Amino acid sequence: MSNSSFEITMPKVDLNYTSAKTPVHSDPNPEAKPLPKVTIDGKAYEFKPGDTIMQVAERYNLHEDIPRYCYHPGMPIAGTCRMCTVEVEKAPKLMTSCSTPAGDGMVVHTRSEKVLKSRNGVMDFLLANHPLDCPVCDKAGECELQDYTFEYGPQESNFKEEKRVFKEATTKKLSDKVTLNMNRCVHCERCVRFTDDVTKTNDLVMLNRGWHKELAATDEKVGLTNDYQGCLTDFCPVGALTFNDFRFEKRVWFLDKKPSLCDGCSKGCNIEVHHDKEIVQRYMPIYNEKVNGHWMCDEGRLSYHTYADADRIVSPLVHDQASGRLASTNWETASQVVNAKVKSATKTLVVLGTDATTEEGMLVKGAFANRAEVKYHSGFGDNKALDHLLRQSDKTPNTNGLKAIGLSPLAPTDINGNDLVIVIRQGRARLPKVEGQDVILVGVYSREEIETLKTSNVRVHAVLPSLATIEKDGSFTNCDGHTQSFTAAVTHRGKSLAMPRILAALVGEKR
Amino acid sequence: MGTINVSRKYTLAQKIYLYYIIKGMLINLKRFFRGLFLQENWTIQYPEQRREYSQRFRGAHFISVDKNKTENCTACFLCETVCPAECIHIIAEERPEDENTYGVWKEKKPASFDIDLLRCCFCGFCEEACPKDAIKLSRDYEMSVATRDEAIFDLNHLKREVKGRG
Ligand code: SF4
Ligand code: SF4
Ligand code: SF4
Ligand code: SF4
Ligand code: FES
Repeated sequence: MSNSSFEITMPKVDLNYTSAKTPVHSDPNPEAKPLPKVTIDGKAYEFKPGDTIMQVAERYNLHEDIPRYCYHPGMPIAGTCRMCTVEVEKAPKLMTSCSTPAGDGMVVHTRSEKVLKSRNGVMDFLLANHPLDCPVCDKAGECELQDYTFEYGPQESNFKEEKRVFKEATTKKLSDKVTLNMNRCVHCERCVRFTDDVTKTNDLVMLNRGWHKELAATDEKVGLTNDYQGCLTDFCPVGALTFNDFRFEKRVWFLDKKPSLCDGCSKGCNIEVHHDKEIVQRYMPIYNEKVNGHWMCDEGRLSYHTYADADRIVSPLVHDQASGRLASTNWETASQVVNAKVKSATKTLVVLGTDATTEEGMLVKGAFANRAEVKYHSGFGDNKALDHLLRQSDKTPNTNGLKAIGLSPLAPTDINGNDLVIVIRQGRARLPKVEGQDVILVGVYSREEIETLKTSNVRVHAVLPSLATIEKDGSFTNCDGHTQSFTAAVTHRGKSLAMPRILAALVGEKR
Repeated sequence: MGTINVSRKYTLAQKIYLYYIIKGMLINLKRFFRGLFLQENWTIQYPEQRREYSQRFRGAHFISVDKNKTENCTACFLCETVCPAECIHIIAEERPEDENTYGVWKEKKPASFDIDLLRCCFCGFCEEACPKDAIKLSRDYEMSVATRDEAIFDLNHLKREVKGRG
């Protein structure tokens, strides 16, 4: 289902926490100056002047050779953890690769004896006070402290002292989304730098120094206030910050990971859907330089609940004359009922929610070409950015995509004069205000929504459930005009059908 | 998969067949008379009499508890991960503050903990994986039940008192 006039780019599948891995190439123009070269572990690599040794290594996929705690490609460099040290020939001491700019002709060793000894020492200090409660810790399995301990760490601790315990901050809710366990913190301060420099909300600080150094919300009464709190728990290298929604739900090694797009707003952040046996457990952002960088907002992160809702309608419903209620039925009956309704209607309007994929938009347009008018509707008005990062006011993912295939927006007066309104909407767009017409609902609805409609006297004739974004293939065009395609991340386990088959049922054509 | 025909070489005595029948009968007769006249028993009168099993026998599971009757399990899922029969099902939750006697060590607890004994193969891997010495296999080998549901041990049943091991 692709159209050659659209530029389709697959979301880039990339490791979390690492930046773009695109090697730089020398300008083919013979007059241009050749790029400088740095030798890492015996191989020469070209780099952009200004790159640090760490960034050069990342560009060439050598990031696994250099462990790091404080460095994060999306944040300013701090150079505090000393885990990333490398040996540079002719330098008297080990250098921190995250903060040392690469120089032409530099010779770097990432795994010399001296380096490994230093990393071992750093790990020993980090573990001196670490509770090592991995069995209880949600980070276990994707924990950088665990991984680096296996790789570099000391077999046995040199410390025999009592471990430091932060009594108050053992399980402290920093907000309703994030829980802090200060005992596990390795003081990398990624979280503090994130709130200082990325969200610019300054809602985390490190109090005191040395032994007593403790993370706290700037205003203890208010707690964390930024809209990107989930990101803190993604990049916290240990289990000090955990996301309440995912906390204790699943151990991470059970999760299958598939790339997809967040449909929580018109930004279209690239995400990884983490699921176990097709049950979605969480969303995590994937790096995409052009769209979301390394981040995603909390609203989007939690938006999977719409689709994983126990009250989501996943079987076709038709209006039962006798009882006056919507009753669950099979697709054959539902198709006959809706098809008869569509045939008998004199004037039909199709309201297509802007949470439909562009492909679905084209299908709907084609299916109703001579039968009905098709209008798109988001219910959020014109889009504007809600902050300097990602969040947009249009909470539907594909307004621009539907605009691009030539559909026009729904005007308030459009609905009058029709006797049947078909509302297609997949859980994100708002429902249009319908009064007096028969309505067929197609898409993703919750039981609550249908009940609200019934109490406001909307005559719902049938509900035909369709697939959600994470369950289907398609493409969205985001607020900046980037078209991104995606494939199904999980398999739908209810009776919902894909759009082509629902349209076939509506217009009575075999497909 | 094909069929493999195996042929054996039989000795004359085996071919005649009667020789081994008589030999087997004689063993039966010998045991019968020894039981009859010398009161030698070859079986035990279960359930009045019970056989002594090895100390290392692996029977029905239990979960050890501390002195407050709080289960030692922290719902780490390691037993569920290691179980080859996939018969352990855990749902975890936050442990309330007042039950948190050891501070950080017990912040998580099982909301439910089910073991399906009908699927279990009594390998004992769960016992070995457990970092808290919580799940253990007792020496109890009497696990007959009337319905399948009863064969699913829940947390309450797992926390029962088990003598002789724990
Ligand atoms: S932060 Fe890592 S090392 Fe520490 S308890 Fe959690 S998983 Fe284990
Ligand atoms: S809470 Fe996590 S991210 Fe913040 S300083 Fe501690 S280890 Fe680093
Ligand atoms: S004994 Fe083996 S099969 Fe039975 S629950 Fe334990 S790990 Fe699973
Ligand atoms: S019984 Fe042991 S291994 Fe299983 S969840 Fe509890 S603590 Fe973990
Ligand atoms: S990553 Fe370089 S000092 Fe922390």
